[in-house]
Amino acid sequence: MISRVDHFRKRATAAFAAMLLLIAVAPAAFAGNELAGKWTLSVTIPDSPGSNTTRTFAVNVIVSPRGESLHGRLDITDESGKTVGGAWRQVGKQLSITYELPCPGDGPCASLILLGRVKGGGVLIKKGQVIVMWDTPNNKNPALYDTSNGSFRGTRLE
Amino acid sequence: MIFRTFKLLACLMFCVAPALVGTRIAASQSERTLSGEWIVVSSPINGSIGSPKGTTLGFPDRDMVFAQQGDLRTGVVLREDVGQNVRPLGVWRVTGDQFSATFQLWCPDPDGPCGSIVMRGQFVRDDKISGTMTAFFDQPDNSTPTGYDTWTFSFVGNRAAGSGSGGSN
Repeated sequence: MISRVDHFRKRATAAFAAMLLLIAVAPAAFAGNELAGKWTLSVTIPDSPGSNTTRTFAVNVIVSPRGESLHGRLDITDESGKTVGGAWRQVGKQLSITYELPCPGDGPCASLILLGRVKGGGVLIKKGQVIVMWDTPNNKNPALYDTSNGSFRGTRLE
Repeated sequence: MIFRTFKLLACLMFCVAPALVGTRIAASQSERTLSGEWIVVSSPINGSIGSPKGTTLGFPDRDMVFAQQGDLRTGVVLREDVGQNVRPLGVWRVTGDQFSATFQLWCPDPDGPCGSIVMRGQFVRDDKISGTMTAFFDQPDNSTPTGYDTWTFSFVGNRAAGSGSGGSN
């Protein structure tokens, strides 16, 4: 009889420990769909205004929690290790990230607006859309500058 | 020996020092920065009171504060007209006399449209800027190349009195 009680206690303790471990190793699953945290994003955009050739690059993003203005900051680090700042907002699952592309050399430069939805319990962004506004003026474009569209996806790291 | 020392000192005063000062002046003339506080006044380019899909942006004057820490260039809009703590965030970069800044709009109504602003401008002087700003709203608009509701403004900005133009703040 005593051994059965002990056995039950041991199993209950093990189950409780497993539950604690689950909570500890999977914080994202309990963080809802808030973007705050560490992400890696894969962004695909044209390599220049009007170009049909695209380039895909990865950035690591550290997203700070939102402040009282419903906005937050983020640090974006590219594959070369260069870090720039960005700003983000989110309503429900719908999020928007804006940042200025680092502009090395003489290549075309641009501002990016990333629009997407946080999915998978807060760990994935799929089929996100990118608005690219280049630095080249274009009076025929309603934005008054060349624009392009791109795409992005994201995976939460932490 | 004394004469040689005197010549060396004279050379330092009249040859090297002016060269250093000249370099500093040239550097300050070539490096523009948005760092500091600006009062920016915008107006719709075609006089329209709303975007093609009917979204408006309200008050045209904006108190904007830009800062730089290393490569991190940040901006904030002081929206004290709607609340003491309402401070939409943005980022910026400068290339020569040209600059670009990107901001998120403040949208307290979760059911209403929201958007992002991209500013493109140039320095008229160290304390004056002008250019255009484009609002990309989250609403679809098939008539634009991006597929999003787009509204453009012109703007003029003046550095606020007493606001320095130092590299970091």
